[in-house]
Parts: sequence; structure tokens; C-alpha cells
Amino acid sequence: MSDLSTTVMDLPRRDARDKLRGRTRYTVDRVRPDMLHAVLLRSNVPAGRIVKLDISAAREAPGVRAIATGHDAPGLYGIGIADHPLLAIDTIRYHGEPIVAIAAETEAQARAALALVVLDIEPVAPVLTMGEALAKDARLVHEGWRDYEVLTEGGARDGNIAWEARTTRGDVEEAFARPDVTIVETTIRVGRQSHVPFEPRTAIGSWENGRAHIETSTQVPWTVRNVTGRVLQLPPGRVRVTVPPVGGGFGLKFDATIEPITALLARITGRTVVIENSRQEEMATCLCRENAEILIRSAVTADGEIAGREAVVLMDCGAYGGEQIFLSTMTAHTLGGNYRVGAMRLVSRAVYTNTPPNGAFRACNGVYNTFALERHTDEICQALDLDPLAFRKKNVLGDGDLGATGQVFDGDVLKPMLERMDTLRATTGTLEEKADGRLYGRATTVGTWFVFVGPSAATINMNADGSATLVTSGVEIGSGTMMQSLPQMVAGQLGLSPDQVVVREADTDSAGLDVGVGGGRTTVSIGAASIGAAAEVRDKLFGFASELLQTRPEELELVGGRVAIKGRPGSGIAVSTVVQHAQTVSGPITGTGSFTGKGVPSMSGCAFGHFIEALEIPIFVVHEAEVAVDPDTGHVEVLAYRVVQDVGRALNRRAIMGQIQGGVVQGLGYALHEAVTIAPDGRIREDGFETYRVPLAGDVVPVVADLYEGAPSSGPLGTKGAGEVPILGVAAAIGCAVANATGKPVRELPLTPPRVLGLLKGRETSPEFPHIAASFEANTLA
Amino acid sequence: MTVTFQLNGERCRFHDDPMTPLLDVLRREQFLTGAKGVCREGFCGASTVHVDGEPVMSCLKPIGLVSGCSVTTIEGLSSGDQALDPLQAAFEAADVVQCGMCFPGMVMSLSAFVRDNPHATRPQIKAAMSGNICRCTGYERIIDAVADHLERQKADVLTKEAAHV
Amino acid sequence: MDMRDGPERMFLSAATVAEAVAARRAGAAVLAGGTWTMRDPRRGVSLPESVVALSRIAELQRVEVLDGEIRIGASVTHAALAGALSGLAGFEGLAAAATGAANPAIRRVATVGGNLCAIDFAAADLVPALLALDAGIELALADGPRLLPISDFLRERSELLKTALLTRVIIRRDVAASAHVRLPLRKAGDYPVAIVSIAQSTDGAIRVAVGSVEPVARRWSALEAELAGKALTPEEAQALAEKTNDFIGRDGIEAEGWYRREVLPALVRRAFAALQKGGAA
Repeated sequence: MSDLSTTVMDLPRRDARDKLRGRTRYTVDRVRPDMLHAVLLRSNVPAGRIVKLDISAAREAPGVRAIATGHDAPGLYGIGIADHPLLAIDTIRYHGEPIVAIAAETEAQARAALALVVLDIEPVAPVLTMGEALAKDARLVHEGWRDYEVLTEGGARDGNIAWEARTTRGDVEEAFARPDVTIVETTIRVGRQSHVPFEPRTAIGSWENGRAHIETSTQVPWTVRNVTGRVLQLPPGRVRVTVPPVGGGFGLKFDATIEPITALLARITGRTVVIENSRQEEMATCLCRENAEILIRSAVTADGEIAGREAVVLMDCGAYGGEQIFLSTMTAHTLGGNYRVGAMRLVSRAVYTNTPPNGAFRACNGVYNTFALERHTDEICQALDLDPLAFRKKNVLGDGDLGATGQVFDGDVLKPMLERMDTLRATTGTLEEKADGRLYGRATTVGTWFVFVGPSAATINMNADGSATLVTSGVEIGSGTMMQSLPQMVAGQLGLSPDQVVVREADTDSAGLDVGVGGGRTTVSIGAASIGAAAEVRDKLFGFASELLQTRPEELELVGGRVAIKGRPGSGIAVSTVVQHAQTVSGPITGTGSFTGKGVPSMSGCAFGHFIEALEIPIFVVHEAEVAVDPDTGHVEVLAYRVVQDVGRALNRRAIMGQIQGGVVQGLGYALHEAVTIAPDGRIREDGFETYRVPLAGDVVPVVADLYEGAPSSGPLGTKGAGEVPILGVAAAIGCAVANATGKPVRELPLTPPRVLGLLKGRETSPEFPHIAASFEANTLA
Repeated sequence: MTVTFQLNGERCRFHDDPMTPLLDVLRREQFLTGAKGVCREGFCGASTVHVDGEPVMSCLKPIGLVSGCSVTTIEGLSSGDQALDPLQAAFEAADVVQCGMCFPGMVMSLSAFVRDNPHATRPQIKAAMSGNICRCTGYERIIDAVADHLERQKADVLTKEAAHV
Repeated sequence: MDMRDGPERMFLSAATVAEAVAARRAGAAVLAGGTWTMRDPRRGVSLPESVVALSRIAELQRVEVLDGEIRIGASVTHAALAGALSGLAGFEGLAAAATGAANPAIRRVATVGGNLCAIDFAAADLVPALLALDAGIELALADGPRLLPISDFLRERSELLKTALLTRVIIRRDVAASAHVRLPLRKAGDYPVAIVSIAQSTDGAIRVAVGSVEPVARRWSALEAELAGKALTPEEAQALAEKTNDFIGRDGIEAEGWYRREVLPALVRRAFAALQKGGAA
């Protein structure tokens, strides 16, 4: 590994000062008085047929400049399956579905005009739960599902099953039939989690020189570009997306939603149009982490060998497939991760319901699959009277072990991480005395996640003053990657200081394709592309300097802003001089780099319907929680929280610690406080901060973390993503700790005081799923 | 109706609905977008400004009740190229900011708190933050920075007192 | 740019109680701190077309601590009330209610009168605390002031407040100690899902009030009857609370009725423990 002493540092964020002074202009702060304001007429029933839609009176209302309906944007979009219209056409599939968009001079005028739209919906009985959706003779949420364009081949589909991903490795039936195994079965049910980014989804669309220009609060400028082109049926290249600083995303902004509507209205009016979701709209139509139902069953020998495992995971995608179609792939790597298992088969089904569509949320389905797997693991240990920590040390994935799809894991990582947790615990001590008469519990859990590799592009333009401008489609969503790891990496490669690296915010007109900021991929994918661009720049600098210095390029290095002769700091020539020289002789020095995952093999015949068959860069975590449970009220207090996280290589330890503290606290919200429930009319009931309870300062503890470096990684400089994964193991650690404290089977989340008191008082029963068949094969379309 | 008040030290007039939230006057009329409308119900604190020196949530403050008052927004706390408020400087130095949307409100709440409670304990700091939600950071590093700031402030006072002896 | 259609909103900043009462009788909505009213649009309700603000009426902003009673003006904020009661023996419960409600920025603005007059707000903290203190509510009507017990006020408030203005809360100082135990779902910053407020008079009588469990806070008369004349440990008080638990919890998004009811005996135990320590919980 090259010398990283100029790359690794606790570089503070360059955007902090403006953010602290209230000067940063997020998209939501860019509304100008001359813009049109658009509002959406949304369905107030969960399912129905539009029998009448008359916008003529609204069109005549004061200030109204344009009205759009689904017929103005007939293209369908989606992930895997194109099933989603921009605005509902004829059929209503969820409460809150947008039907009509009105742009007017003021928001008040637009809202007044909404009231004049004549809309007559003939309601039909909604399919609100996955149980209803999978019932025999269930009404189809998408009657025409067979006619949808398939964007990615391979998934099995049928009616309300939007997508099915399945794995099978080894002979599971034989393992379960062994005479020396005990069979343990666990059922788990989890609700949705709402992201609550402080900046709601907001987009500003304009029409410039025959093209749409959308300025928006997104994590995925290229997805917005592509979806907008698709639904508006524009010729290729007619959409430009730019992204100001984003006020939080957490995965919610990993899909296009309202952006194309602004472009549509801008095309009609020739004016700039803004849509800003109200908080209520934002929460009522949040692309939540999906609710899920899980049955997991294992065959384990008396000495703790996992001979076989099978599981059924039902993921509610809501009214449209969206991310859940893609995420069905992750069950193989999360529920199928963590442990060495003899034979395994898993099925993961994305199910349509008449509820608001779900989406991606930090570590996505990994969070609840890890909760399910770790609770199941503890139930195995309980059934066989094994020590949970010893069981984990014995069975965690190690070098050469096989994953669910037959992927061969590289290196022993989880076991030494568990040992590091022992050391960390010995250092911090435990806090049982703080339980103060309440029920005390502690649990140590493991988790497997990954880096979502995929295409990224980077260009570096060298400037005459010796600075570098890095141009990518990266977005600063708050994680700091654009402020810290990227300039650190480029500066380290070019011998500059990070403040000499200007980082351009995303503009799809200036940088190449990128699959977005999420999945822990920015440092890895954009980082790798940036390092590629830096390599080209370095070669060019060396080429010119070698002439100027009469030295062979191999003898040069970039250090301290100079092209220096190796081992002689301060020698050579300033980078700025080389750049200026190059500009006069052959033009400015630029470099480009690009990246995508190389692909890691899995075993043939193991995976069906998977977008990702093997993890290119796995990430492991060990989480440990200590809790006190109030037996009178069911309140769970977190006493201590410890993390050992596999980071590959830490480029900015302080920034990673900030991500760990923040990610763990979001996980505490999911585990303990945050509930999204669906009312009988299909509405999300928790649509404000009074009822949707995120953790407050009083509810959290300082997370103590140990960064585990050195695990194998194909990421640049050995890095892995560090921002997404801290949330992965929290529900698992808390759920297991609460189960240990109470002696009750924790099988549902969140563990709100009423749920925990219900557990203690015997009011809570374990979830039962009549719609999951006893036989594994009966739960697949195979 | 016309409402007159002081805004960041200057006289400001508003002619319209007196039930307009102060937040909307700041953002839409004055283009002071530091204060944010996040929940607009008094739970998140993102719209916090000082009215007559006290932090209040501008989303729930009808402009009619601001008549004759003095309003300071985040933009007025350290304007132009003035140095940061010491608490802002502490947050910057400790690298606690992430998406940043909550920080204008967080700074307005906590700058008044540290002014009024120079000897605050960690639990008191946490209690003072119960109306300021942050979705990114998990709070603890913000609390660390406030606690460090208070320690430094105390040390400065001691140094000054020693100098006067 | 006109943001609204329709007639100009009436906004009167009353200088006197009489002026405010006259405006109220003419249909104006009363605006105190605004923290409840300003959320109307979020509830799908338009802001009132005519408003009378109380902020200029100085007498409503006073807390008078007299030998025999305490008089609290309707416009006194939670924060100001907490400050005025600080260290005042016997009023630990009310002080705790004023200190624990909502969050600091709301407490600086939300008023005593607003808390008592927000009819749909079941989780108001001050209401059970004032019930336990058997406070009197002073109303201003067109024909003069009227003083009535808080229980009567709560029962009749939707009718009374159509024409009357709540001006003061009056509390006798015959209270020896009090405690206010609130149960939010998080540590702080929530509306409590259940509240137990208790106060012991100098003659030993104990009053217990419960908030947030039913749509309107009320005294726990069945428990008070059992407690009468007994010196009990907190655990004994809890046992009596279990025996006399006649509450029907309201179902809400945050908690179902059974939970609100179920936690009450434990909150009674805590309130008694706090009472015996001579302070707030």
C-alpha cells in the first residue's frame, strides 16, 4: 500500500461554517417570488377507479398557469418492472397517490384551484396487508401486471407478487431430516420506518433551450434524469439535473418522485415551477423502509453446527414495486449472511398492497433481516442451551466459507471483530448497576452488509494556480463524503492539501453517469473513479515535469504541491508551474476516471431473480447493547452501546465516528420509538412529529466504537463505505438485549413502551402468518 | 395590518395578514432562509430565532405578536465577515455538522442556553435540546461540543478574574 | 403579492380585559401564546378570521404570591410560572408540570390560559396539576368576573368559553406538598401518555388527579376516598390505585387505552414517593 500519511486525517467539513450560519441554500431555500408553485391533488382513498376528472373550473381559477394529469406523462417507470405512472391514470392504488398537478402564481392560489377539480373515484375494496394480497382470489393491485415492461429479466412474478428472488444451496431437506438436529423456528414482523430528512423532497423545474432543467434535493441525479426522460417520453439527453446541498436523504431521495412533475409543468408554462412537499405530504407518502414478515427455520446440532436453514421473507412494496424489487436480492446476503450454514434456501417476495409505496432506507432490508437472524440465533442458543457469544464465535463466516448464493468469503473478519468487542467491553466496563432495579439485559450481535458498487465517473481539471477541480455526479447529503474523503483522496494522490481540491456538486451535464449517493458507495465508487482521474493527471504532470527537470518520470513524486524528485522534499518544480507550462504547449491538464464493480462469482444454479448474486465488498459489524427495562411502564433505556465496525481503511476517523453515532441513533429510533401504521382507509397515520417519534437528545447515549481496519476490500486504498452500515445491527442488538432483560420472545418492532409492557404482561403474542405455507416450496413460484 | 419590529438590528415593516407565521415573513419576504420550516408544529426547533433575546419557534409565532419586538435570526448572530459566535466556532471545530438543516435552530436555542446557564451539566444540556431534533448526528457530539464550550468559557472567566487580582 | 383571498383578517391587540371580552363576544378567537392555534392549518382547520391577542394586557401576565393564595394570570407562560413557583413549598407539582411540559421554546411561549382552554388537548400538563391543587378559575364575562372550581370549569368550558375570557387561576396556599408524575414515551419532549398529579393539604387530605388517560383530566375520587385518613407507603398507595382504577383509557396513535390505564398505579407509587421526598418527581 502506498504512503497514505497525506490522505488519512481528521479533515473538518468545509461546508460546516455556512451551514452553521444559515447561509447554505438547500433546494428548499431557493424558491424565488417569480416561480410558479405547484401542488398535487392526492387520492383520499386507497384503491379505486377514476370515473370522472374535470379540471375545467380549476383551469379558470385565479393565478392558475397549468394543470397536468396522468395523460400528460404516460410513460411508466420503475426498478426491474416499469409499473409506476407519474400521476395516476384511471386507477388509484394508494391513499395519497398524486392525480393532478396545478401550477399557479402562489401556493394559496394553487391550493384554491385544487378544490375546484371535480374528481369522482369509484372505490374498490383495498388490499392493505400482505396477508390479504397473498390470499387466494385476492384482488390484483395491478390488473395488467403481465403487460408491464420488464426492465431487468430474471425475477419470478405473479399477480400481487411483484418480484420473487430465491436462493438454494445444498440439500436443505436432507439437513432438516438429519437425526441429530433440533429444528428451531422464529417468526418476525416489523413495521415501516420513515426517513424524516429535515429537507422535504423539493424540486424546481424549468425549461431551457428545449430541455428540462431540474434543481432538486436528491441522492440520484442520474435516476431523476432518466425517469424524467422516460415518463415525459423526451428524446435522449433532454434533461439536466443539478443538485444543491441536500438536507438529509437516508435513502428516501434514492428515487425520482415529484421531480418530473416540475419539468412537465415548466414545459407547459415556460416558467420555473417549484414543488415542495409539506411535512404532512412528505410523511404520508414517504418511501419508507418496508414492513416485512419473516419466517426462519434452522436445523442445528447439539454442539451448535448449523446444518440447514430456510426462510421466507415477505417485503411490502406498497402500491408500486420500486426499490423492494431490487432489495429482494439482499435477503440472500443478510439473512443468508453472518453464519456458516450447511445447506440453505431463501425466498424473498416483494408484495403489492394498496398502501403508499416503500423505498430504500439506510441499510434497507438488512436492518430487519439482521434483527430476525440474530433473534433467531438467540432462540437457537436458548433451545440448545448454548452460550450466544460462543455460538457466534464458532459459527460466524470466515475465510473460505460459503454464502447463500455460493459466494466464497475471503478472510476471517467477524471472529476477530467479536474478540475486539470483548476487548472493548473490558475497556469500557458494563453498566448493570445503572439499571437501578429495572430489568437488565445485554446482547452482542453480528451483521453482514455490503458496498453497493456500480458505475461512477470523475474528471479532474488542473488549474493554473495549482489547485484541482474534481467533477463528479456526487451529491453532498450530509454524510460528508464530498467534503472529506473525496478531497482527501484526490489531494493525497496529487500531493496537494485537501483545501486545494475543489469538489463540484452534481450536474448531469458536466459529469458522467453515477448510480447515486447511497449504499455506502460514494467513497468506494466515486473515490475509485477519482483516483483513476488523478492517476491520469499525475502521469501528465510527470510527463511535462520530466522534460522540465530532465529527470525520468519514475524518479518523480507529487508532494507538498510540487513535482519533486523522490526522496528530496522541496526539490523539483511547483505543480502550478507545470500546469501553466502544459497549458501553453498542449493545453490544460485533465484526467478522467471511471469505475464499476468487477463482479464476484457465485455458484451457478444457486440464485434466481437476483440483481446482485454475490457481494463485491462485504462489510461486517458487531454491535452490543446494554438496556434497562422498566417493568412498570415498558420503557427501554439504552445504558450503553458499543460498535466494532469493519471499515476496510479509515480515511477520516472522526467523520466515521460521527456517522456511527448518527446511524446507531437512527437505528435506536427504529428499534424503540418509530412506528408507521396504516389506518383502515390506507393512510399512514403517523404523518407529523407529534406521532412519529424520532429519538431526541435525552434518549441517546454516546456510542463507543472501535474501527476494524484491514479486512479485504477491493475499494480504493482499501476503503469500504462507513456511513450506511452503522444502522445495520441496532435493532438486532436492542431486540436481543430486551429479550434477555425480559425473558420474553421479542419478535416485533418497534419496542415502544406499550409493546414491551404488553410482552411483560403476556398481552403480546408471537406473530403468526397463515399466508406463509409450512412447506418452503409452497412459498415459491418455482 | 402593518406590523413593525426590529429585525437583526434594523427596522422592518410587514403589511399583510397578522397571523402569518414569523417564519414565513423571514423566509418569503426577507429572504432570510436560515430558519427552516421542518415540522411547523413546535417539535423540531428548526425555525428557532430570538425574540427579545429569547429563543422561540418562529413557525408558531404570528407576526402580529411580534409588533414592537426585536428579532434576531441566525443570519444576525454573526453577520457579514464577523467572527462566528463562540458556540458556532465550537461546532465547527468539533466537526459536528452533517446535513446541517437543524443547526441554525440548534445554534439559536443553545447560544441562549449557554448564555443563561454557564454552569450547565450534561443532563441539563440534553434537557435544553428536547425541542431541537437532529436526524443525522445522534446528538452526543453536539452535546460534547456544548460541554467543551462551557468548560472553556469557565476557564476564560477564571483567567480574566486571575488577571484582575 | 396577496397571499390570501377573502376579507382582511381582524386582529385586535386588546389593551384591557374588557376590550378582549367585547371582542370575544363579537366572535373573535382568543390568541395567547399561539402555539396551539398556529397548528390549526396542520389539523385542516383555517386560522380564525378574527383574533383578539392578549399579549398587551399586563395584568394577565402577573403571578401574585400572597399569604393565602397564589394568583396566576392567564397569559403567564409555563416558563414564567416555573420561575415564580421555584422554591415555593407545596407547589412542587405545579412547578414540575410547568417545567416538564413540551419543550423549552414552547414553555417560553405557551400560556397557562392556553393550556386550560385547549379543549381538544387531553395531555395538557397544567390541568391535572391544577386539579390536584383544587384551583379556582376566574373568568371575565360581559357582566363581570366569575370564579368557579376547576372541575366545574373543565366540565363546562366549551360552553363558557364561547363568551368568557379566562383571566386568572387562583390557588389556595393550604397545600403542604405536591407531586406531578408524567409519562412521556420518550424521555422528554413528548406529550405524556398518562399523568398523575397529587397534592396533600396542610390538613392531611390528599387529592389525586389524572391527565391524558381520558379525553379530559379528572380527579381520582375513588382513590382519594380510599386514601382518606391513612398514612400509606408508596407501595400501599399503588395497591389501592390498582383496586380503584376506574379509568377508561382513550385510544390514540401513540398509545392504546389499556396502556394509559395500566400504568396509573405505578405512577401513583412514584407520585407518593416524590411527595414523601417533599418534591417533584
